[in-house]
Amino acid sequence: MLVMGEVHTALLQNSGEIQEPVCRQVLGLMAGETVRVSRRPIAHALSPDLLTGVDCRLPSASQARVRAVGTVVSRCAITGGRVAQGSSYVRVERAAVDRRLSWSHYLSRPGVAEVLGKAKAGDLAAGFLDGAPPDCLDLGAISGRFLDLAQSSPLLDRRAPFRIPRTRLRWVTEVGEPSIRFTLHSDQVRTVRIAHPEPFTPALAALCEDLALHDWLLTTLLVLVERAGIGSAPGAQAAAKLAPAVDHLLHLWMPGAHVGESLAPYWESLDRRPGFTRQWRTLEDRVRDQVALNTLTLLSITAQTGRRCQ
Amino acid sequence: MLIFAISDKGGTGRSVTSTNIGYRHALQGNDVCYLDFDFGSPTAGAIFSVSSVARGTRNGGLHEYLRGGCAEPHRVDVWTESDREGLRTKPPGAGRLVLLPGSEGGGELSAVDDEMVRRCVQLFGRLEEEFDLCMVDVSAGRSFTAEMVLQASVRLPSIPFRWLVFHRWTRQHIIAADGLVTGADGLLDAGARFGHDPEELRDRIRFVRTAVLEPDAAELVGLRDEQRAWLSACDAELRELAGRHGVGRTAMLGKVPLDPVLQWREQLISDEDVLASKIANAETAAAFDELAKKIVDDSAWEGL
Amino acid sequence: MTSVNAAFGELAAERRIASAPLSHVSIELGHLYMEDFEAGPERLREQFGRVAPWAAAVRSGWQRRIPGGRARVSTCFLIDDYFSRFSTPAELVPMVLEAAAEHDLSIDYLARESSCAEADGVELARLVEGRLVDDPPPGTTGSRPPVKETGWLCNGSRSPRPGSVQAMGPAQRWAPPVQNAKRGHSIFVDVELWDENGGRRTWSCPFLAAVWQLLRLGMLRTEGELPLRPVPAGASWPARWDDLPPIVQLNDQAAPFSAYTTLSVLSPRFLPVELAVRTVLSQVAVDAEVLEQVRRRSDGEGVALEDEIVDRVTYVFG
Ligand SMILES: Nc1ncnc2c1ncn2[C@@H]1O[C@H](COP(=O)(O)OP(=O)(O)OP(=O)(O)O)[C@@H](O)[C@H]1O
Ligand SMILES: [Mg+2]
Repeated sequence: MLVMGEVHTALLQNSGEIQEPVCRQVLGLMAGETVRVSRRPIAHALSPDLLTGVDCRLPSASQARVRAVGTVVSRCAITGGRVAQGSSYVRVERAAVDRRLSWSHYLSRPGVAEVLGKAKAGDLAAGFLDGAPPDCLDLGAISGRFLDLAQSSPLLDRRAPFRIPRTRLRWVTEVGEPSIRFTLHSDQVRTVRIAHPEPFTPALAALCEDLALHDWLLTTLLVLVERAGIGSAPGAQAAAKLAPAVDHLLHLWMPGAHVGESLAPYWESLDRRPGFTRQWRTLEDRVRDQVALNTLTLLSITAQTGRRCQ
Repeated sequence: MLIFAISDKGGTGRSVTSTNIGYRHALQGNDVCYLDFDFGSPTAGAIFSVSSVARGTRNGGLHEYLRGGCAEPHRVDVWTESDREGLRTKPPGAGRLVLLPGSEGGGELSAVDDEMVRRCVQLFGRLEEEFDLCMVDVSAGRSFTAEMVLQASVRLPSIPFRWLVFHRWTRQHIIAADGLVTGADGLLDAGARFGHDPEELRDRIRFVRTAVLEPDAAELVGLRDEQRAWLSACDAELRELAGRHGVGRTAMLGKVPLDPVLQWREQLISDEDVLASKIANAETAAAFDELAKKIVDDSAWEGL
Repeated sequence: MTSVNAAFGELAAERRIASAPLSHVSIELGHLYMEDFEAGPERLREQFGRVAPWAAAVRSGWQRRIPGGRARVSTCFLIDDYFSRFSTPAELVPMVLEAAAEHDLSIDYLARESSCAEADGVELARLVEGRLVDDPPPGTTGSRPPVKETGWLCNGSRSPRPGSVQAMGPAQRWAPPVQNAKRGHSIFVDVELWDENGGRRTWSCPFLAAVWQLLRLGMLRTEGELPLRPVPAGASWPARWDDLPPIVQLNDQAAPFSAYTTLSVLSPRFLPVELAVRTVLSQVAVDAEVLEQVRRRSDGEGVALEDEIVDRVTYVFG
């Protein structure tokens, strides 16, 4: 019917970026399962997939009572040794019989939640994207806990270079003519709705994780630029406040780095409108200009004092 | 940084002082979160003038969250949700100011189980990611709430925390404040049981005197000489008593003068209250401002 | 030149899952505990005598099912060296083999129970523990972590704890435990998975038996590899259990150790244990890739398998 997921993204709670061996330990959430690591074009580490059992109502725009039983797939990712994510998704399918079966039945179809009774995919999608009421499936809470697993690792020093809220991106994919719609809700909530002609593959979840990552980067850089108070605060002060952005964020922008070739057009269309990369580049230039300007000022002051001393 | 606000007795000015410190800290450019852990009577909403949560919130209060009733506690952005005109716009340069209200009709915790501590740890860990300062109103006296945060802070070794013990400037309050820290089942005693190093814990505790009437205060101008002499003698005696009880100058982080506004109403003292309407004393605002700096000033927290 | 198709791969980024060789059925001919051993060889002979007709029936059943009658059937025998240590391989193994031979049973593989806890540095029991996905009671939205009683696993909701969580609040009343998948009435099962004494963990018998079943079904992997492979028997039997490989292959013509399905022939006194084993098995999430591999293979040879792992485990109690 449809697939829904939620990705939470945060600054990894460590003073500097962490290296691959530490990443492997932080993300080694299951005995005997390897952490998948790719190094090009940017370091990206992915924990094993873990399952969580659920038996509850699904959010529905029309408030219909729709019960689903099954398992949610979750994992953690760390990109560039710096940004952590907790991600969960579930494939919603119609059950063959309208009563709850033994649990082993659901475990034979990992990542699927079976709907007991009737439900409309569009209704569920809209209900989920609107934000679920308390007694409904809560993918956000699951993703949040997975993110906590990484963030609370004793291997991290918890001295992050700046404080920043997590962002959450809820997504839904359905089968249909290719389309993508990205919506900003509150400061921290975003939604993505994707139609894809082929049946669901985990690559779509990876696409959404990549979108969430870049949206977080953009959101965070905007906050840092605002906090720096360019123009109102003295140049040196603004530059100092921008330093963490230069040190920790600017090199992380790599849209689509871990997204399969066939899904690249989704990223490309978002880059045309609203133009994520364009906005990022503009901000990046602004940050670099400010820092450069400050360096120039410092240099000229040093030069002047130097002349006076001579 | 986590700040735990506690007092031995009720009605000492713990909530009013800690909210004002949080408010000042936000004005100083820091992102601040205020957690109302006074489950028996959650009233922080009233002090922030957010009437919708004046007595706690009906959905997603901290109490409910800690009991596992909701996945995330309700948040109130004071800069947008306060009823006070003067608070409703975030001053330029100020940080975020977010209130996590208690649950309406909630009661004191009657026990602490491991699950609750786990949730408390999760909450502190998450808030630490986004806020420079989390001010926690732990309620008065020896409580399960205090026990819970003592346990939670042990499990978060890399998150810095500090305790503020609020007390009034009277005999009973001085003795009680000391008892809360060093007495049997006090903070140090219980803290050690949960795995804190008592020495280290001691260094993380400071006292704050509330509603202090200095013998030379303007309010006392009309007093007779005999009365003034008596007050001075009392004050000297209290200072001596405080020194003996380890509540003296060295262990004190600051004091807040008695303020006419606060005597009449539990509220934030804004600069406008001091400068424009002139209802509050400048010294009061200055004391809050000073405390807001000192809570994060390491030199004020060097070993005693 | 218009465009170039570039391919770039990173091995560490891919998941590679080894596949296990598979028989059609793995028949467990017996499970030897100290008490059986103490009862003497007569008890063993009696056991094999009971098992032999069932084993033959299952074998011919599969031969009928598989075109050309080429069913792959392997047999195994498990010796408890975990809960109690008795005798030595040198003394015991020949006795077991002899007793089996008297009933025309040939044991293909001999395994030690302690290998289900740990063998060759791989903690199989931990692998399985990490794959437990708790059966969620209705109303489980994921908003909080599953309610766990450390070291226990159940098939429903336990009775709530008495007491109140709020001063002056209402006290919780007793309520019965409930089975999640109940039909009418509950059969609530709560299984102890392990206990700990002085920091040392002892896995429970049903939990190790669940590991044993998963091992026989070829469902376990560590870092993508098979955790244990049978080792051909040496020229003589060692004097210490630790010197015996975790799984010894006694017959070099034997069909593979692991199989699509398993059959265990047991005394009815093991019924409660096996109920516990099934409770555990129905909450183990086998790797999706492994499930898929097995499904592809069985489809390929036209063998229809039960979807649920626990249904591939069969018993004869008698
Ligand atoms: N500096 C001050 N000057 C005058 N009055 C004050 C001052 N600080 C606090 N008060 C007043 O003291 C009373 C008690 O304060 P508050 O409610 O903050 O105490 P509390 O310790 O939080 O009490 P409780 O334990 O009941 O929560 C309030 O009416 C408050 O306005
Ligand atoms: Mg109070």
